[in-house]
Amino acid sequence: MLTEGVPAALRGFAGRLGRLVLLLVAVAVASFALMVNSPVDLVAAYVGADVASLGPEQRALIEERWGLNDPAHERFLAWLGNLVRGDFGFSATFNQPVLEVIGDKFLASLALMALAWLLSGVLGFGLGLLAGARQGRATDRVITWWAYTLASAPTFWVGLLLLYVFAVSLNWAPVCCAVPIGVPAADVTLLDRLHHLVLPAVTLSVVGIAPVVLHTRQAVIEALAGDHVAFARAQGERGFGLIRHRVVRNAAAPALLLQFSSLGELFGGSVLAEQVFSYPGLGAATTTAALNQDVPLLLGIALFTTVLVFTGNAIGDRVHAGVDPRAALADARRSR
Amino acid sequence: MLVAKRWQQRLGVIGLRVRTRRWVAVALAAAALGAATACSTGDAVSGAKPTELRLAIGGEAEDGYDPTLGWGRYGNPLFQSTLLTRDADLKITNDLATGYSVSPDGLVWTVDIRSDATFSDGKPVTPGDVAYTFNTAATSGGLTDVTVLDQAVAVDEDTVELRLREPRSTFVNRLVSLGIVPEHAHGPGYARDPVGSGPFVLEQWDEGQQLIVRRNDDYYGGKPAFERVVFVFTDEDASLAAARSGQVDVAALPSALASTEMPGMTLHAIESVDNRGITFPYQPATGRTNADGEPIGDPVTSDVAVRRAINLAIDRQALVDGVLDGHGRPATGPVDGLPWYDPSTAVTGTDPDAAARLLDEAGWRDTDGDGVRERDGVRAEFTLLYLASDSLRQGLALAVADMLKPIGVAVTAKGESWEVIETRMHADAVLFGWGSHDPTEMYNLYHSGQAGIELYNPGYYGDPEVDAALDAGMAATDPAEATAHWKEAQRHFGPAADAAWAWLVNLDHTYFVDSCLDVGQEQVEPHGHGWPITWNITGWRWTC
Repeated sequence: MLTEGVPAALRGFAGRLGRLVLLLVAVAVASFALMVNSPVDLVAAYVGADVASLGPEQRALIEERWGLNDPAHERFLAWLGNLVRGDFGFSATFNQPVLEVIGDKFLASLALMALAWLLSGVLGFGLGLLAGARQGRATDRVITWWAYTLASAPTFWVGLLLLYVFAVSLNWAPVCCAVPIGVPAADVTLLDRLHHLVLPAVTLSVVGIAPVVLHTRQAVIEALAGDHVAFARAQGERGFGLIRHRVVRNAAAPALLLQFSSLGELFGGSVLAEQVFSYPGLGAATTTAALNQDVPLLLGIALFTTVLVFTGNAIGDRVHAGVDPRAALADARRSR
Repeated sequence: MLVAKRWQQRLGVIGLRVRTRRWVAVALAAAALGAATACSTGDAVSGAKPTELRLAIGGEAEDGYDPTLGWGRYGNPLFQSTLLTRDADLKITNDLATGYSVSPDGLVWTVDIRSDATFSDGKPVTPGDVAYTFNTAATSGGLTDVTVLDQAVAVDEDTVELRLREPRSTFVNRLVSLGIVPEHAHGPGYARDPVGSGPFVLEQWDEGQQLIVRRNDDYYGGKPAFERVVFVFTDEDASLAAARSGQVDVAALPSALASTEMPGMTLHAIESVDNRGITFPYQPATGRTNADGEPIGDPVTSDVAVRRAINLAIDRQALVDGVLDGHGRPATGPVDGLPWYDPSTAVTGTDPDAAARLLDEAGWRDTDGDGVRERDGVRAEFTLLYLASDSLRQGLALAVADMLKPIGVAVTAKGESWEVIETRMHADAVLFGWGSHDPTEMYNLYHSGQAGIELYNPGYYGDPEVDAALDAGMAATDPAEATAHWKEAQRHFGPAADAAWAWLVNLDHTYFVDSCLDVGQEQVEPHGHGWPITWNITGWRWTC
């Protein structure tokens, strides 16, 4: 059994890796094609408000520095060649190698995204359980209504609202940034960082919370209607015990799957949340790169998020299979 | 009570009672700590006032602080110092230089350098560093244009020669804006760890958030009154919030937010040459196109009578009051308030009757009674394009259309993206914003040689006398002589002559400044970014 299992797992892993590479190539080609055909003039976007003070000679210099005089396919192949050697190119916007920019900014985003992800997962699952268990009652109606409200509220709007209430009116939270204003890096405490993290994280968690609530609720209702629950009830199981022993596992499967596949939306949401709170993460860098038409950085970010989302989905599949053995069986059958 | 009891029972059933209490305690503790940190930051603000200054005036340089790539291109690079600088009246004065002269042919600029200046790493500033800076900037392909430089050479221990490819009086602006970098410490990492001879040194840069700078105690010029200055990079809403909660001492806010009450802060509306104006297609519509196939010319605005009439009929003060909420001035030319501005070219007041007479005399008459004049079967109508995402430009464009209706000129204001505007700006009127401390901009907007290049002279304006005056201004070796030529050009293209543009307004840049902070005399600020208000930051003082 064991000796058979290992090569199968390896084969599965290799298969996934192959798919990831194909996906990356497709994303790279598509993103590059989009940017090359964009009507926005790269140099004009870089120059911005300085158009009147830079002469044509200077623009020629900039184009030369960026290699814009080569045909598009040559530029793409050159970029791809560098990429294979591990060189992601140079971001003109940040005057830094692309990998350094992504590394720096992602580190800032990581705390934000992780906290928001946990918040939306834990809160969403808990509320979904509660709503499902209390189906039709006032608790259920309030939670469902709240979930629908969140699902239809745009992230940036929620962010502005929170900013206005908690930072401007109540003065409880800072208005911007990931660190306190004017404090040297060495004096910034973990508490400071958390203090600056709360509002953006809550805003960002809004993106993921509603689907988890609603799906969990549905799964709970279905599980509660199942034969095994009827049997358990007949044996006298009630209340939280019943939910914990007979329902949680069934309800967890869709929630976990959703949670892991929501990484893409989480990143999309971080673009807006970071903008609202001047939080210096990858999302804010994406906005800047897009406004400045920083092609190497945008491509780098596209590839990076592809890997992120792909990994999230792969983990989601594995965890799902772990929680729900039927899914693993179905997977195995399909791959045969 | 009953309800509470029932809940307690249920919580008890699911074994949560104890844990819930613990969580409540933890949450309370966290809230208390949060409040404590909030208090401590509040204390820091008031306690540190004498030595620390916090500014929310935007303008982060994402690519870092390397002048050879464009940092400080609006002047006053903070970490570095420049050869020359501009005073409150924008007159040029010495900084690192002790004097300069231009050869009679305008090709060689000889600059004497002071010998007491040192970089923040303790090494002296030498002519070699100056030459290195100019040579590097000329080829770096960044955001500062030094392409006219052929070569910079250090000729002795305190003199540098800047040799140009052609005479250019406006090269003096590079001496004003290009911060000198040390040759020995300049490389790929420089932009994030700048070493210079300016009044401040970089202490910490949290990218996307804030820049903390420390006073350079070895600076050769006036000592700033502040040990540290913090630049906070917040957007408008966050800046407003930060100003309101007392976290910043200066906040730049758009004029739309300038009417808000701000306790403890004073509104400074600083005059600028950040202007908005309309460029007209100057050529007749003959079906001519440029190399990219974009149409050139318009049958209505190519008539000088129409352009002059428009300039007369627009009530600029009404635009300032209505669209800018009073935070601006009427504009009459591209360089209002700058040393090379000729006030005699200004339109004074609004005169729709004179405008109507001009149109009558030129043969534009409303014969069919539809409220719009026509001539030889051509209706006096044109499209005015503006940047759709800019509500201020939209307001101006719509107001102008309203003001021209009474004189029988029909204007269709239309919002578009820059990409669309660029393909149509030679055949449609466009609302632009310009304004620079460098007369090169005026040259680019009005010289026929710049017609259709980039965004310059989009209407293909061309007048031999203007060209001659602008060329003479460029070639002048003496600032006074150059100024005379710049003024002459304005008399030819101004609203009473060719009326190539209809300038509308100059915006005021609005800042909220702590009422206890004296920011000295303000310069007329240019269009664009950067930190124009900080030009004299070394002289800022607390007054209470």
